[in-house]
Amino acid sequence: MTPGTDNHELFENLRLELRRGSLVLAVLAALRKEHYGYTLRKTLSERGMAIDEGTLYPLLRRLESHGLLVSEWREEDKRNKRFYKLSADGKEIFKQLMAEWQSISTSLNGML
Amino acid sequence: MDLVESYLNAVAKALPEEQRADIISELSEDIRSEMEERQKVLGRPLTEEEQEGLLKKRGNPWLLAARYRQDHRSVAFGRQIIGPVLYPFYVKVLSFNLGLTFLIVGIIFLALRLAGQKISVGDMVSTCTLQFFIQFGVVTLIFSVVEKHLTKQPDRWHIKGMGGKFRLDLNIERDFQVRMGQACMRQARMGSHMREVSRFESVSIIVALAVALVWWSSVQSHPFLIFGPAAALFNLAPIWHQIYFPIVVLTDLEIVRAIINLVRPDWTQFRAIARVILQAGGLAVMWFAIKAGSWVMVANPAADAAGKYAQVAHIVNQCLVCICERCDFLRRDDYFQDNGIGAMAAVACGAAKRWISGQGRELTQVPARDCAKHGTWRANDLDTPASAIFTEA
Repeated sequence: MTPGTDNHELFENLRLELRRGSLVLAVLAALRKEHYGYTLRKTLSERGMAIDEGTLYPLLRRLESHGLLVSEWREEDKRNKRFYKLSADGKEIFKQLMAEWQSISTSLNGML
Repeated sequence: MDLVESYLNAVAKALPEEQRADIISELSEDIRSEMEERQKVLGRPLTEEEQEGLLKKRGNPWLLAARYRQDHRSVAFGRQIIGPVLYPFYVKVLSFNLGLTFLIVGIIFLALRLAGQKISVGDMVSTCTLQFFIQFGVVTLIFSVVEKHLTKQPDRWHIKGMGGKFRLDLNIERDFQVRMGQACMRQARMGSHMREVSRFESVSIIVALAVALVWWSSVQSHPFLIFGPAAALFNLAPIWHQIYFPIVVLTDLEIVRAIINLVRPDWTQFRAIARVILQAGGLAVMWFAIKAGSWVMVANPAADAAGKYAQVAHIVNQCLVCICERCDFLRRDDYFQDNGIGAMAAVACGAAKRWISGQGRELTQVPARDCAKHGTWRANDLDTPASAIFTEA
């Protein structure tokens, strides 16, 4: 393996790690408004936070199991869809995470 | 079955049962929404290739399912041998194999015990331990090869082919031959779903069948190879000698087929036709073998304890019939249908049921008399239908 390939792989791993942390925040932010899976994926993608369904849906389940999201199956356009939105706990946690994010962002901006 | 359904089925098989329906409904909705949107953009229905392309983008169904699972257990000896993706399949196959093996071993020991043979706990433990290590070793080895392939080539899978089912593209030999990924896509676009027959597959079949042929021929004159130490007491029933020649012919033909495909890997249609014919022949032979209803007999009927051993042979035969009869669940299970075991199970089950309804009653009455004479069983026990004995065992 060449050093170039090594660096590229290292960069990819670090990039994924960086993104992984911010994805939760992005999903929580998007779910202040109710969405079903596909529209949520599209919204995130349009805002520059593309996420594949293999990552999104397990993440939604995890967040729901932690009580941060609530979901319900509803019919729309003659099809059953599962709609997600922030729960009361989710809203509270989101506020705290936002504050943390802004603090990190301010600190980093000062260093970069 | 359309491609989306096949894809979802493949994901579903690798999901925990309690979450399966929910996850699949949501995933199905996501896929169909994406396809609808794409259709709106194009202003026409998607072609099969376009649908396949969208599904391919979603990744290997097994890897996708693994992301939903909370269970991340794996098998590791120093380094990981079988990862969380294949672990549930590995456990399923290993449990089935071990369960069946222990059941057969248990039945044989129980039958020997009832016939008055001295069987120690040590004998049972050593036999079961040996079987455990053999099964564990073989199943683990096979799954570790698949795991290695899955790790190296997670995107080599397809859902086309027979029945539109999901298949892992496991033709490992092609790694050494040519990079077939693009070629397969080209062939798919051209409408051909057939690929070249792998030379690795042909060589493996030739070697395996040659070994099997030598074993099969030797077993006829050396029952020790199948019965072990019990060969002093038992022998193969006449049905095995009757189907000896058809099996040799079918095996030889399959070897010839593999040799032809080794020389001409592009004769895929030839392989498909030959397989259908040979498998039909194999199933017919299997039908006759199971319908016979008696596969084990006493080696020396003139011996002092021949009556007792006849009972043991009878119990073993009846238990084997019952196992065949109960194979029905294999026929219905998707996993075994995919592996072709379902067809064999259907034949085994059908033949066993036919045997039970036809000759079973007559045969169960024979040992009833013998047992009353030897006083080893109550007469009522021996009049019990074969399936009931199996349930009790």
